[in-house]
Amino acid sequence: MKLHKTELVSGLLDGQLVGVRRWLAHRHIRACPVCGAEYRRQRGARELLASNPPSARMSESAELFWSKVKREIEARGDETVEMSLPRLTVLDWLGQHQYAAASATVAVALAAVWVVQSQTATRRQGVAAPAAHPVATVEHVSTAIPDSVATPLDADDKDTAVIWVSGLPWTANMTEMQTLFANLDT
Amino acid sequence: MSTRWLITVLAALVFAVPTHAASIQARLIRATNKADDSPPVDAALKDIAPKLKKRFGFESYRLMGTQQQSLDKESTSRLNLGEGFVVFIKPKSVEKTAHELDVQWWSGRALLVKTTVKISEKSSLLIKGPEVGDDWIILALTMQE
Repeated sequence: MKLHKTELVSGLLDGQLVGVRRWLAHRHIRACPVCGAEYRRQRGARELLASNPPSARMSESAELFWSKVKREIEARGDETVEMSLPRLTVLDWLGQHQYAAASATVAVALAAVWVVQSQTATRRQGVAAPAAHPVATVEHVSTAIPDSVATPLDADDKDTAVIWVSGLPWTANMTEMQTLFANLDT
Repeated sequence: MSTRWLITVLAALVFAVPTHAASIQARLIRATNKADDSPPVDAALKDIAPKLKKRFGFESYRLMGTQQQSLDKESTSRLNLGEGFVVFIKPKSVEKTAHELDVQWWSGRALLVKTTVKISEKSSLLIKGPEVGDDWIILALTMQE
């Protein structure tokens, strides 16, 4: 049901479609905003007619009326009739473009998260900046190497702490140093 | 179905927001006065190069190894810097922006330095270690947020 066939909508409302055709028509109406709108329009008209039964009787018999209708149809033959498509609402568009709507929502949510995060970061920087002086201080230091001393040095900069370990065994190269410390059990 | 998909994506977004955790970078440095063709300070040491020159006075500083680790309270991090050097760091407490850390610097089976320091973001602890030939081995710990 790729085309918007209003007679299938009528058939569905009349209960003429059964089985797979009925299921396919229902599925199409759920997915197609044009046919969905037509379905709702026709259903509304039927409900309106059902709730307002005709009070006046026909001036002619039903057989005569339908024979007139039949003649009229035959007279018109293949004459095409322009039917305006129903106007789509926002809800119809959203029903048709579910993934586009979901993507737009995700994009908005991402933007919101980004805005909140950047505001939080700005606020944190603004509050912390005056108090957040970089500080590095040595509270305690020691070495386990015999005949060695580890000393914290007085620092000119508050953001740098220095520990000087003196008296460590001297080695000529890295291999010798690794061998020495690998066997030096502290 | 699209609603369920949307909720799943939004939930993933909420849980994907990164958490803010401090981390510490340990760098093993060789200070030397031997001239060669390479720049006097490795690019990876540019941020602390002025401090190194001011404190130790060598002309060149070479990065021998580096490791970075997020600070997880109550757990000890082991940073292997190569050449047999290993640093153990255990966070003790956090006061405002300063982290109190227990630091142990090992070489092989030898505990070179055991210290407790308070260090805040972008601050550094420099430890002058063993001498190898005419060069010095230096450990630099830098706090990063």
